[in-house]
Amino acid sequence: MNSATAIAFMRRLRGGLDSGLELPEALGRGATALPRDARETLNRIVDRLDGDYTEDEWGFDEEFAELVEPLFAFLYESWWRVQVGGAERVPAHGRALLTANHAGILPWDATMISMALLREHPLPRYPRFLVLNWAFDLPWVSPGIRKVGGVVASPFNAMRLLEQDHLVAVFPEGVKGTGKPYSERYRLQRFGRGGFVEIALRTGAPIVPVAVVGSEEIYPKLADLPFVARLVGAPYFPVTPTFPLLGPLGVIPLPSKWRIEFLEPIETETYGPDGADDRALVLELSERVRGEIQQALYANLVKRGPAFI
Amino acid sequence: MAGRRVLITGVGSHVGSLLAQRLERDPDVEHVAGLDTRPPKVALDRTEFIEADIRDPEITRRIPRTGADTLVHEQIVRQPGLGMSPRAMHDVNVIGTLQLLAACERVPTLRTIVVRGSAGIYGAEPHAPQFFKEEMARLFPLRTRFQRDVAEIENYFETYARRHTGVSCTMLRYQPAIGTGLRTQITRYLTQSVCPTHMGFDPRIQLVDIEDALEALVAAVRNPVPGAVNVAGSGTIGLARLIRLAGRRALPIASPLFGAVTSTGQRLGLDTQSEDFQRLLRYGRGVDTRRLVEDLGYTPRQSTVRAVESWASSGARGGRWPRRSDGFPPTAAA
Repeated sequence: MNSATAIAFMRRLRGGLDSGLELPEALGRGATALPRDARETLNRIVDRLDGDYTEDEWGFDEEFAELVEPLFAFLYESWWRVQVGGAERVPAHGRALLTANHAGILPWDATMISMALLREHPLPRYPRFLVLNWAFDLPWVSPGIRKVGGVVASPFNAMRLLEQDHLVAVFPEGVKGTGKPYSERYRLQRFGRGGFVEIALRTGAPIVPVAVVGSEEIYPKLADLPFVARLVGAPYFPVTPTFPLLGPLGVIPLPSKWRIEFLEPIETETYGPDGADDRALVLELSERVRGEIQQALYANLVKRGPAFI
Repeated sequence: MAGRRVLITGVGSHVGSLLAQRLERDPDVEHVAGLDTRPPKVALDRTEFIEADIRDPEITRRIPRTGADTLVHEQIVRQPGLGMSPRAMHDVNVIGTLQLLAACERVPTLRTIVVRGSAGIYGAEPHAPQFFKEEMARLFPLRTRFQRDVAEIENYFETYARRHTGVSCTMLRYQPAIGTGLRTQITRYLTQSVCPTHMGFDPRIQLVDIEDALEALVAAVRNPVPGAVNVAGSGTIGLARLIRLAGRRALPIASPLFGAVTSTGQRLGLDTQSEDFQRLLRYGRGVDTRRLVEDLGYTPRQSTVRAVESWASSGARGGRWPRRSDGFPPTAAA
């Protein structure tokens, strides 16, 4: 936008307000001075200010997700140069449970899995993901996560989403995964108590193991300050090369190179919903998924080569 | 079903009055009695009005005379403030229920109890599942006075139902209701000039349309199912969108200061907010209504969003953007 259009826009906006128009209408009038795409964006923002937008019952706002997509696209293409394998293995419709390794303190890996599916899948779809609980007590973070498809990590949420035939991403390592020190990178932690397998069995959703390489290097956690963590109510307080040294700038993730591989889905429908009560089956499947992800992690680490270049 | 004799406590409340009116017109209902200290809000033809305080042991003599087979307990105070201290609210809720159940012991004809309880029992929690099911009432500690009141009421009814196997007791857990003419905490909140919100939070709010609230009660009277049943419109709405649809402006306040700012506002004569409501404004709450639809057999007609839209379009919507001719923003010349 050059300065002439900006001046014309401001002049019309002020003219509208002077003649007693309400702000949205005045903005609309100002928009006529703008080029077409900017006009459309502005009109959408005006409509949103008036409450004219839709969110589903989870707070997912597809339009918002599209508005912020350029940021994630930049991270995906230029910052982390994500390479994707096996996206076509993710079911194109119906329910499925994506199960991935977890790292990186903030749920960037979830957003990159979303981007991978939007970019590489023949029938792109937005996955929903389960996010560590404490994020929902943080201002701005909690509505932001909801708007792009995150929900509180509760088995009841996962069940309901799968029953609604959504694609759901879970990170069974949970806080053990994101909070592990850099020296233990890519070593999978315990997969909880296999709750994700129970959910898949109960809903008959196939489990798609996902191996994410690159997320461990974005915030190399060198040390933990547990007393600070207790003070702010977080599960851990990481010390990385840039945080808390550089303050808020330390939140900027390092530009590691990423590979995301979607593995062959594991069907669970054959076991029936009662399979969820069979502890041996649950633990066996959980261990199988964990093993497959671990193997794929090592293979992709070799394929990726150096972490940052 | 024919020849039902229904007793409604709290008939002077908005929903209680409308329910009496609704049941009066029902040919299957032979007799309607309403208990309250306040007169009903609408003109009622054949409802026998019992003017009594539910906290008064007197009701143990007056209730059995109605010969009721169905009791609808609607006298539960949901918000302190409206001329009622928290202590008085607790008395009505807990002691009132206790007195009422004592009176019920003397009503041998009683078969059905329907309680208009509250989904407030689940609380509002950052880590809660998005949709509470009926069996999740004890997932989190009871944090507020009202929550503890509701839990106590539910306990009393559970105990009563266990001891009287011939009586079916339905505990309806209502999300906040919204509708034309209704003055509740949420409608008062949405008709303020500015709505204080927690800065950086956009909780998912779930509401029920007043018509649906009423019809769910009627459905429970007709088809009593034992145990708790959630009542809410389908779906949820973000608070930010709710305020925008209501045509109001949000006033974001940093959470640590929220209580201090709103209580200062109260002293200056602005609206009061209960502790429950403040938590709701931060974390929100949703309930799973499958049991309402499948077991009780009632599907709410309005979703949460539709309920808000129809309430807003009925004249409750405010002007979000003050016009310049109203002297705002002030002009340099003024």
